[in-house]
Amino acid sequence: MKAIPGGQYRPLTDEGIRRIHESSLTLLSEIGVEVHSRLAFEVFRQRGATCDPAKKLVKISRAMVEDAVAKAPKRVVLCGREEKHDLYCEGKNVHMGTGGTVLNVIDLETGAKRPTTLKDVRDIARLCDALENVHFMVLPVYPNDLPPEDVDLNRFHSSILNCSKHLMGGIYTLQGTLDIIRMAERIAGSPKALRERPFVSFITCVVSPLKMDDLYGDILYHVAKAGMPVAIPAEPLTGATAPVTIAGLLTGLHAETLSGVVLTQLVNPGTPVLYACTATSTDLRTMGYVSGSVEMGLINAGAAAMAQYLNLPNYTTAGMSDAKVVDAQNGYEKAVTDVLVALSGSNFIHDAAGLVEFASTASYKQYVIDNEIIGMAMRAVRGIEVTDETIALDAYRRVGPGGNFLADPHTILWMRREHYLPKLSDRQLRINWEKAGSPTVEEKAVAAAKRILKDHKPLGLSRELNDSLRAQFPGIRP
Amino acid sequence: MELLEKISEELQNGNFIDVPKLTQEALVQGISPAVILSDALVAGMDVVGEKFRRDELFMPEVLIAAKAMQAAMAVLRPKLIETGAETAGTIVIGTIQGDLHDIGKNLVGMLFEGAGYQVIDLGVDVAPGRFVEAVRTHKPDIAGLSALLTTTMPRMREVIESLVEAGLRGSVKVMVGGAPVTEKFARDIGADGYSPDAASAVEKARTLKP
Repeated sequence: MKAIPGGQYRPLTDEGIRRIHESSLTLLSEIGVEVHSRLAFEVFRQRGATCDPAKKLVKISRAMVEDAVAKAPKRVVLCGREEKHDLYCEGKNVHMGTGGTVLNVIDLETGAKRPTTLKDVRDIARLCDALENVHFMVLPVYPNDLPPEDVDLNRFHSSILNCSKHLMGGIYTLQGTLDIIRMAERIAGSPKALRERPFVSFITCVVSPLKMDDLYGDILYHVAKAGMPVAIPAEPLTGATAPVTIAGLLTGLHAETLSGVVLTQLVNPGTPVLYACTATSTDLRTMGYVSGSVEMGLINAGAAAMAQYLNLPNYTTAGMSDAKVVDAQNGYEKAVTDVLVALSGSNFIHDAAGLVEFASTASYKQYVIDNEIIGMAMRAVRGIEVTDETIALDAYRRVGPGGNFLADPHTILWMRREHYLPKLSDRQLRINWEKAGSPTVEEKAVAAAKRILKDHKPLGLSRELNDSLRAQFPGIRP
Repeated sequence: MELLEKISEELQNGNFIDVPKLTQEALVQGISPAVILSDALVAGMDVVGEKFRRDELFMPEVLIAAKAMQAAMAVLRPKLIETGAETAGTIVIGTIQGDLHDIGKNLVGMLFEGAGYQVIDLGVDVAPGRFVEAVRTHKPDIAGLSALLTTTMPRMREVIESLVEAGLRGSVKVMVGGAPVTEKFARDIGADGYSPDAASAVEKARTLKP
């Protein structure tokens, strides 16, 4: 897809960015990161970080950070299985898509909340394949009907069958991760072909504050070794796992995700890595996690600015809501955070489609609604094009004082390009809207989701290849 | 027939330069004016209307198609009258006295032209007496009254009363429209038809045959 650059919104001054960065370096070199993965700890130790094995503490120097930042790619191309879905994550290019992983879904037929299954993995992938403003799919749901050892491979396999956009996913087991890479190599044609056009990528994480987990440290090590693209988010929460102030949170986040970036570049210089943020705020009236706060938008726009300072491709979060239903809160929380983070020029904004209730629940109709909100946000990112043609002096000459531009050729030439055309918003006169049965956005979204699931045909895999994958990986469900 | 299909197609593209030329060519080939009207022009506008309802075409594209229709009708109308073929009808339109807004009224006029009507546009700030005079002179099937202001809307009632006084009310159907006008208001002042937007005005007019 043609990348659209943002960056019109700057939540931090140059001085603010510099001070946060310097403070993060102080955190990494003075306090250090607790590294529970032995593989990761060994890499840091062998490469000269100051390590305390008893405390599992790794102190990362400024030089080590600067060296890793220099080695990390300035551009990460996350490919689709079709080129039209390729994402050029660099500079201030903006892409938006789904997020996860959640355990429950609002059922499309009954409207009730229930546990997700492998069928939901498939159906949501097919839905996202068809929604034109969803640029990529971060695998959104967990199949509760599978044993843990079969989850990773089946989540990716079902998603590949149903969605040809770039697929990024969280992973749960090291074996699962390695199997996914081998399966993707088969689909790409060879290990080299997959590295050239990686259509899958992974998410590991750093635990806030300043801790690298055992399993995820190991997985990060192996993904980097395999040279596959990886995002390393930290999720500090204001007042809980980070200071209550946004600058304080960004200082911790910056240090945490950079510790992951450093590890990948120590393991395998040039590993395509995304600086990543899933941070948000808490409501300290209850200490509850919240996902739709305006501060969440500020934090993620700030994270994008910090990544841009180091010229690192970045992954952030926006477009979530704490509302349980499709209501005004749902709409304004998603719209405000989407617009803030999109305008900040973040490269890969996840969680922006399909989630409700603290981003803990997926919802079919919500994907269709969020597709609309993303469409509007991306139109804002595109901004105002100023050329002789868009200024349209010639059209003024043709129309003259007191006329109108309705049937002027300039109008017809530009009307579709210049204006975002919503599919769900109601713009009818009341009389016509009432004649149509007074439909709500929610009702229209449900109908659209049902229509897509019934009619949409994804790219899929050839029967021969799919049969052969099933033979190689017997854990793949039919 | 190939030529008729070509006319229909170019009409759908809003090609107001070529459509009248092609219409002339069809006449020269000896195709009957009534057939050109129904099989090429009206057929083309029907496709345009259908695509508009499906959101495939936008209003500006309907307007240029209507403009092409209007250009073709200028060629065709004299022949239709010669052969005594039935035309869609005549409509007198105008923005009510005291009101200078005309974009909605113009839009309605173009769409009626697109549907094959002869449109007599009285312009803006039209006093009741001028509507009466126009109905007397042009004997239209429909008089279309437009208002954008709530303050000028009551003048619509005056036009209808003037038509009654002049003994012309029975000879013409009165349609009203404009942003503040409602179906109830239309009924209350004794109008025959109302449409909430320009796009449905022609359809409404077709149901009002005397």
